[in-house]
Amino acid sequence: MFVLNPNISYLFIIAIAMRKKAGVVVLSSDDEDDNPSLSSNRSYAKSKSKPLVTRTNPRPAKKPRLSGSRSRFCRESSSVNEIGVSFEDFDDLLNGFKVSAGSGRSGTNELWVDKYKPCSLEELAVHKKKVEEIKMWFEKRLRTKDDLSNHVLVITGQAGVGKSATIHVIASHLGARLYEWKTPTPTIWQEHVHNCNSGVRYTSKLDEFENFIDRIRKYGLITPSFPGESRSSIILVIDDLPVTNGRTAFERLQNCLLLLVRSVQIPTAIVVTECGKADSGDYTPRSFEELQSSLENAGACKVAFNPITNNSIKKTLLRICRQEQCSLTAEQIDLLAKASGGDIRHAITSLQLVCMKPDRMLNLPSSNSSSNFTKEKADELSGSGSGFSMQFGRDETLSLFHALGKFLHNKRETENVTGMDQDAFHVLGKFSRLPFKMDAPEMVLCRAHGQARPIADFLHENVLEFIGEEAMDDVSAVASYLGDADLLFASFRGILTRYNEAENVLQSAAASVAVRGVLFGNSNPLPSRWHAIRRPKLWQVEQSAMRNKIELVKNRVAYNGSSLADVSVIATDLSPALKWLGYRSSRGLMSHDVSMQGNKTEDDSLERMSLDDQECEISDDDEIEDW
Amino acid sequence: MLWVDKYRPKTLDQVIVHQDIALNLKKLVTEQDCPHLLFYGPSGSGKKTLIMGLLRQVFGPGAEKVKVENRTWKIDAGSRTIDLELTTLSSANHVELSPSDVGFQDRYIVQEIIKEMAKNRPIDTKGKRGYKVLVLNEVDKLSREAQHSLRRTMEKYSSSCRLILCCNSSSKVIEAIRSRCLNVRINAPTEEQIVKVLEFIGKKEGLQLPSGFAARIAEKSNRSLRRAILSFETCRVQQYPFTSNQAIPPMDWEEYVSEIASDIMKEQSPKRYINLREVNGIRRVLLTPTNYNLDSILRILLSTTRLFQVRGKLYELLTNCIPPEIVLKRLLYELLKRLDAELKHEICHWAAYYEHRMRLGQKAIFHLEAFVAKFMSIYKGFLITTFG
Amino acid sequence: MAPMLQSSQQWVEKYRPRQVKDVAHQDEVVRVLTNTLETTSCPHMLFYGPPGIGKTTTALAIAHQLFGPELYKSRVLELNASDDRGINVVRTKIKDFAAVAVGSAQRQGGYPCPPYKIIILDEADSMTEDAQNALRRTMETYSKVTRFFFICNYISRIIEPLASRCAKFRFKPITEEIMSSRILHICKEEGLNLDAEALSTLSYISQGDLRRAITYLQGATRLFGSSISSKDLISVSGVIPQDVVEALFTACRSGDFDLANKEVNKIIAEGYPVSLLLSQIFDVVVEAEDISDEQKARICKRLAEADKCLVDGADEYLQLLNVASHVMLALCNMPEELNYES
Repeated sequence: MFVLNPNISYLFIIAIAMRKKAGVVVLSSDDEDDNPSLSSNRSYAKSKSKPLVTRTNPRPAKKPRLSGSRSRFCRESSSVNEIGVSFEDFDDLLNGFKVSAGSGRSGTNELWVDKYKPCSLEELAVHKKKVEEIKMWFEKRLRTKDDLSNHVLVITGQAGVGKSATIHVIASHLGARLYEWKTPTPTIWQEHVHNCNSGVRYTSKLDEFENFIDRIRKYGLITPSFPGESRSSIILVIDDLPVTNGRTAFERLQNCLLLLVRSVQIPTAIVVTECGKADSGDYTPRSFEELQSSLENAGACKVAFNPITNNSIKKTLLRICRQEQCSLTAEQIDLLAKASGGDIRHAITSLQLVCMKPDRMLNLPSSNSSSNFTKEKADELSGSGSGFSMQFGRDETLSLFHALGKFLHNKRETENVTGMDQDAFHVLGKFSRLPFKMDAPEMVLCRAHGQARPIADFLHENVLEFIGEEAMDDVSAVASYLGDADLLFASFRGILTRYNEAENVLQSAAASVAVRGVLFGNSNPLPSRWHAIRRPKLWQVEQSAMRNKIELVKNRVAYNGSSLADVSVIATDLSPALKWLGYRSSRGLMSHDVSMQGNKTEDDSLERMSLDDQECEISDDDEIEDW
Repeated sequence: MLWVDKYRPKTLDQVIVHQDIALNLKKLVTEQDCPHLLFYGPSGSGKKTLIMGLLRQVFGPGAEKVKVENRTWKIDAGSRTIDLELTTLSSANHVELSPSDVGFQDRYIVQEIIKEMAKNRPIDTKGKRGYKVLVLNEVDKLSREAQHSLRRTMEKYSSSCRLILCCNSSSKVIEAIRSRCLNVRINAPTEEQIVKVLEFIGKKEGLQLPSGFAARIAEKSNRSLRRAILSFETCRVQQYPFTSNQAIPPMDWEEYVSEIASDIMKEQSPKRYINLREVNGIRRVLLTPTNYNLDSILRILLSTTRLFQVRGKLYELLTNCIPPEIVLKRLLYELLKRLDAELKHEICHWAAYYEHRMRLGQKAIFHLEAFVAKFMSIYKGFLITTFG
Repeated sequence: MAPMLQSSQQWVEKYRPRQVKDVAHQDEVVRVLTNTLETTSCPHMLFYGPPGIGKTTTALAIAHQLFGPELYKSRVLELNASDDRGINVVRTKIKDFAAVAVGSAQRQGGYPCPPYKIIILDEADSMTEDAQNALRRTMETYSKVTRFFFICNYISRIIEPLASRCAKFRFKPITEEIMSSRILHICKEEGLNLDAEALSTLSYISQGDLRRAITYLQGATRLFGSSISSKDLISVSGVIPQDVVEALFTACRSGDFDLANKEVNKIIAEGYPVSLLLSQIFDVVVEAEDISDEQKARICKRLAEADKCLVDGADEYLQLLNVASHVMLALCNMPEELNYES
């Protein structure tokens, strides 16, 4: 049925959502608590001039203390290590702490992401111009007292491009206090249950947020601990928008934010993380786009962050490497940077992981003594290049249109180069195809996150344009495969609702058949060229057919007097005849007036449909250039 | 009122076409013994007319006083409640409905609604005719599950309720139901019978029928009386007095299918008129000077296939609720008319093949189109081998 | 309302034999069972065979003869396929019934009344496998107080553990003579007039299924009154007249596609059920002497495929046309391969 490509490997990508949790540092529970996301975060004041030492800057100030305690612990642990050399398993664990024992700045088992959080404008990996732009914006609003029209800045960008970090750094640079919104609502179930038992009523995150915004609008920020400070040096950050589920909740959030934009008097930054696939049929990304544009319309200023460039990431990684004294080759760093896809947080996390590995293998008390070995190890690592990048690569997402384009363009190698094919069984000439110039179709499908059924519909709508004019046989094969897919979609319809897994398997099988059918059937893909991918017209057809049918069913009694007529009879016999007769209502009974109306509405709906059509054709075009 | 309704026989005595069956049915009910009945036969053969006549025979003129209701039933299906809406037509003594309208939830309709109706016996002071008749349309479109539960219902409530089932093909009704009913096959009227009916109507309307005219209508009706009367009335509106060679207006959708057939016979792939989107595409190519390339414009113009055009027409038919299998059959009919004998076997094989798949599948267009593509591919191969 | 529904009693019920010894034509089974009745020791039983030959009748008769009309209700549970028979039904209904204790063996009113209950499961082969498995446990648990009678058409659809616990009785198809005598008996009782031709037609169209024969007879009586011809019976049964099948065959032999198409159209317009037609074509093909085995094989393969498609709900016209086309290809020895398929 398909050309079997021996290269197919099913890759299961386990995406570990790395959420930056700021509350890691519970160790120091004194008054200097520096949890950055807590409200009224006090002292970012003037940190630039004395970055590492001052007590007023809690971040660096805390570190020596921590590292002190940590290094004590490390010493102990190394002695443990000396005693029990044989307990290698144990050592592995402990070595993890030891890695950075030598470094002055570190010494904790903190995540490097937190440890190397940028503290100055220079350290930021974000593009200088962007930083400058934001800095200017804040400066303007903090310094000048005049009534500027807007006080809200919307910062967008994919995860890990340094949105929050930029704000934090700029705030400390400008000497402003950050006032962050942090939800007091329990986020884990246990917590919720606990609260319930102790009489605390559960309020949804959204409710809390609404209250918060309301308070801010009415009273501004009340900071009881620093009553004397002026209002001018406060920046409000909303980094954690409540999750909305469903349209009504989303609208509440939107209204709430709009109110904020219109009325807030202190400089405010709203950080919106893009989910990266705006066109994937999911509800959330689209609604976030809507949110952004509505905020902009209300007068908010928008800054979009691009993914961080490879060079910046590399620079940062190299800096960290230097400080951690782990030696990675340039290629490795390059790979890491490339694999991160512009996500610096991810890049640093990967780096930490990579650096741990060689040290663990060494199993020696001091890691920096045997740089030779590390190098070998590193070479080995970079040698298995693809596996390496796979391992640390971001979960790459494709847009639905991207994936469809891949399938439809059907790019192939020009000749069969893979050696494995020689040993594999041979297929008849007319069934053999050149290898794909892309990953296995199933993997592409998986990345596109599309639902199976719409994908088949899209393919059906568009595939004809990608097949050569003379290749009627190919068209027929493709059409047949799409039919196969449709059968798979339909089998067990309704019966299996209880057995969801089985249905899912069927769904993916059907999608796979559709995609591979399209790929295989189109034996001589056209050279690639400009093409628009259309939205399936089928959906509209189905809808209007449904509407017409309901109309027919409603009126069927009218047609037939004293008995019900079959829908198919009305559609095939009665209504065409009525059209011919141009029905004369004067002679008819009451019931026939109804039938007249029925006809009219049908016509209307048809017209409406054709109108919709055109709009749709214009608006839904999503160009796919050759890639 | 349409002639189809106006001249519909009201009683079993007035029936012109199936007089023998009408007579038997009369005998059946006068013997005070009415089993469950299953009427089957092609569309337009007069099943409904006979059923109505039968009801009138049993219940008297009261059976014609019907009221139409859009009823909603709340059905408790284990974990959730389903709301089903269905149009019913009922008199004091009978209820008519088409359970297949509710799609795959038809089994609930059959289980619950029929049960409920069968339980509510009509209260008649005379203690006579103490049962209800339930007329079920399109039984062949019911799912298997629904048919099985129908059979159970038949047994359970047979003392209080009689079923009259009506369908086009009895092959699709399970044996268990067929064996519990008295099967009444209604064949399509012959052309002579249709002519007779048309002449009868002509006389009643006071029309002059040229010789052979009624026969032509009958021939074109494909042995469907309903179709014949409808075209007769249409002819009357189009042109009167009749001439014997007067054009008989075809059904618009059949005309359409015929166009499709000509289309795909003419050309097995390319070209259609360009549409707005392509014009935009061309404009874009022209506006980017670096990318200016006559070749790419030509490709845009030539990119689409004839099949695409056919698809649009098929969509049109489906939008107007023409059942896909009827479209396919009609298309086959048109193609067979135009084909060489040696291709006919192959084409009818594929028609059967794709119709079957259409029935199993969800989206008819996929399979209709696959059939058209198959045909194009075969026909092209045939042309190449025959004419080189 | 009463008078009307009384007369509608099914003849199948009316003329159902009440005694095991009256069961037509199943001598061997009857002999064993009569023996059982005398000793009142009775194993679990499994009756199988084609429909309409007295399986259910026998089971009911045994139950009646063992318990008599009075105890019948409390001692015998009938479950047929029309009841909902999921696992839960098997578990609860049967358990509830079997769990109630019975008194010791005491003859009551001339009936043996053995100290157990009987559960009759009609159409057992339509039970799900899960339900059958559940039943197995139930059988063991209550084996002291209950006996199961399973009735089915296909023994292969009863799971092995169940079948092995039962005494199996195979019911033979009824011969034409037995059927005729039975039919004539009913005719006499009902005062019908049935000629010899009609009688042989009846046994032909009912294909050894006595229940079906009686149902047809009753239907014909309802429609056509007391004198019934062979034609009446055919029209009631829905069987397709032989000349229709012959006409289609002749058209196929001619090798003219359009002729066959016309014939198919005619059959559809007449409203004959195609699935039935297929089986009649099958009979004709298998019995035909001038068709080679290879041709027969080709035709039968198509018939099977078309039948499956019809079960799936495919269109009758298209399937029949396809069959006709292939029959034609086979009869005219034209190659089966499609020429222009890519």
